[in-house]
Amino acid sequence: MYPWYDYQRRLSPLKLAVFIALFVPGLWTAAAFAIGALEPRPLTAAIHHIGLWTIRFIIIALAITPLKAILSWPRLILVRRMVGVAACAYVLIHFSLYVTDEAFNLATVAHEILVRIYLTIGFTALVGLCVLAATSTDGMVRRLGRRWQQLHRLVYPIALLALIHYFMQSKLDVWEPTIFFGIYGWLMGYRLLAARFAVRGWLPLYWVAALGPVAAALTALGEAAYFHLAFHAPLLRVVAADFSLQTGVRPAVVVLALGLAVALAGAVRAVTMPAPKGRTRFARLPASQPPA
Amino acid sequence: MLIRKRRGWEIPESAATSEAVFRDRRRLIQALAAGPVLASGLLGGGMRAMAADEADPSARLYPFKRNPKYTLDRPITDAKYVEYYNNFYEFGTDKDIADAAQALPIRPWTIKIDGMVEKPFTIGIDDLMKKMPLEERLYRHRCVEAWSFAVPWSGFPMAALMALAKPLSAAKYVKMETFMDPKVAPGQNQFFYPWPYVEGLTIAEANNELTFLVTGMYGKPEPKQDGAPLRLAVPWKYGFKSIKSIVRFEFTDKRPVSYWEALQSDEYGFWANVNPAVPHPRWSQASEREIGTDKRVPTLIYNGYGEYVAQLYAGMKGDQLFR
Repeated sequence: MYPWYDYQRRLSPLKLAVFIALFVPGLWTAAAFAIGALEPRPLTAAIHHIGLWTIRFIIIALAITPLKAILSWPRLILVRRMVGVAACAYVLIHFSLYVTDEAFNLATVAHEILVRIYLTIGFTALVGLCVLAATSTDGMVRRLGRRWQQLHRLVYPIALLALIHYFMQSKLDVWEPTIFFGIYGWLMGYRLLAARFAVRGWLPLYWVAALGPVAAALTALGEAAYFHLAFHAPLLRVVAADFSLQTGVRPAVVVLALGLAVALAGAVRAVTMPAPKGRTRFARLPASQPPA
Repeated sequence: MLIRKRRGWEIPESAATSEAVFRDRRRLIQALAAGPVLASGLLGGGMRAMAADEADPSARLYPFKRNPKYTLDRPITDAKYVEYYNNFYEFGTDKDIADAAQALPIRPWTIKIDGMVEKPFTIGIDDLMKKMPLEERLYRHRCVEAWSFAVPWSGFPMAALMALAKPLSAAKYVKMETFMDPKVAPGQNQFFYPWPYVEGLTIAEANNELTFLVTGMYGKPEPKQDGAPLRLAVPWKYGFKSIKSIVRFEFTDKRPVSYWEALQSDEYGFWANVNPAVPHPRWSQASEREIGTDKRVPTLIYNGYGEYVAQLYAGMKGDQLFR
C-alpha cells in the first residue's frame, strides 16, 4: 500500500502532502551541501541540520494525538506513523553523516559513543527509533495487537533522550533546545491531563488553555535554574528577562505563545464546527488502525 | 646564567634594514601602487578599496613584511573562510556574524594598560602601531571545536608591548579584556554570560616569541568580525584564548578567570594548550578538520609549536594544562 492512500485505499491529499513535506528538509540540506552553501564545514552543518529535523519530527509526531483531538481533526492520525518513520530515517542519515565525518572509522565511532555521554544518549535514542520504525509496518501493527501500543509508548522516553542529546551538544546557546523541552512538557502534560480528565478522548478546552501557561512557567523556571547552576546567573533576573525583549524572545515566551495558539485554534474550531462528527467516523475505522 | 640558543631565523642586528630605508619603503610602495589604483578608480573594486582605506587610517601601512621564520605545513586558508566563519559571541552565537560585527566602531580605539605596571597609561591603536615592530606571520589556528585555519596575521610580537608596558616584577599574569558595549554588540545583552570577554596569559607566555598581537590579516587591516583593531594570536593554544577587539591589558598577581572558564571550567580552562591526547569532555581532539581543504588531519601537541613553548610548562603536569 502506498503511503498516500488512506485505510479505504483512496488517495488522501493530507497523506500525500505530508509525505512530500517530509522530504523537503532532507532535500534542502542535500542541495545546500551540493552547491557549497554549507561551507566551510559541510558535513558538520549537514549533521546538525538533519539532527535538528529528527527532533522536530519527533515533536511533531508527539503533537499529532493532542492536535487531532483539540482541532477535532481525526484524520490527522493518518500521518502520525509516517512522521515517526521519517524521524527514524532522518536519524539514520544523521548517524551516517557522523560516520562519514569520522572517515568511516567504525572503531573511532564506537569508542566515541561509549565515552561521550551525550553520544551514548543519542545512540540509545537512535536504537529506540529503529525498533519503533521496524514495528511500524501494517503487518507488525496487526501481529503485535495491544502490545504494539505498549511498545510504542517508548517514544516518550526516546524523545526525552533525543532532547537531552541535543541540549548537551549545544555549546552555549540553548535557546531552541529549551523551547523543545517546553513543548515536550506541554505534550506530556496534555497526556497526563487527558488520561485523567478527557471525556471520550476529548480534553475540555479550559484544561488545554491552562496547560500553555503552566508549560511556559516550567520552561522559565527550568531555564533560570539551568542558567543559575551552570553560569551562576541570578535566578530572578533570568525570570525577569522573560518579561522584556532585552535578551530577545525567551523560550518561555515562545512556549506560551504556542500553547495559547493551540488553545485558541481549538476554541475557534469548537465554535465553527461543534458537532463531534469526526470522532464517530474515527470509531468506525478498521481494527488494524493503531489506537489514538 | 642565561644561555640563549640562536635559532636559524635570527639574523644579527647588522643585517637588519636601516630605519631610513625601512620608512621610505612605504613611499616607494605607494608610488608604485598609485598608478594601478588610479587606473582602476572607475571600477567598483577600486572604489571599495579606497573607501575601506578612508575608514581605517592604518590601511596604508599594509602589507607588512613577512617574517620567514614561521612556516606552515599546509596551504594558507582561503581568506573568505577566515572572514566569514567566526566565533564572536558578542555578535551572535552562530558563525555567521560578519554583518552584525560591522556595527563595531574601531576608531578612535583606546587601549588601557594598567594594574601592576610602572606607570599605567592609555594609548590609541594608531599611536601604538607606530611604536611597534610590525610584521606578518603565518600561523596555524586550532579551534577547540576541532577545526583549523592557516592564517597570515599582521601585527607585532606581544613582547614588544610588554616592554612598553613595563610590568612590575610582582606581576604574574596579564589579563586582557574585549570592549564592552551592548549597544553595538547585542550578545552582550545576554547578562547571564560573564561579559566582557576576558582572557589571560602568564607573563612568561605573554613574553614568548610566538605570542603575537594582531592588527590585520591577509595583508590588510583586520576585519571587524575577526577582532579588529587588535586581537591576540597564541597558536599553541585553542582559538578561544586568542581574544578579539582588546581594550585593556591589566597586569596582576592573580590568575585571571577567562570568559569560557567562568562559564564551563571543566571544558575550557585557563591553559587550553592544544593536545591531541586530551579530549574535550564532549569530543576527541585527536584530529581536526582543515577548513578549505576539507581534510581531516591529525592534531599536533601544542599545535606543532612545542619547540617554542614546551619549556614554558616544564615541571607542570596534568590534563588541566590542555583544556
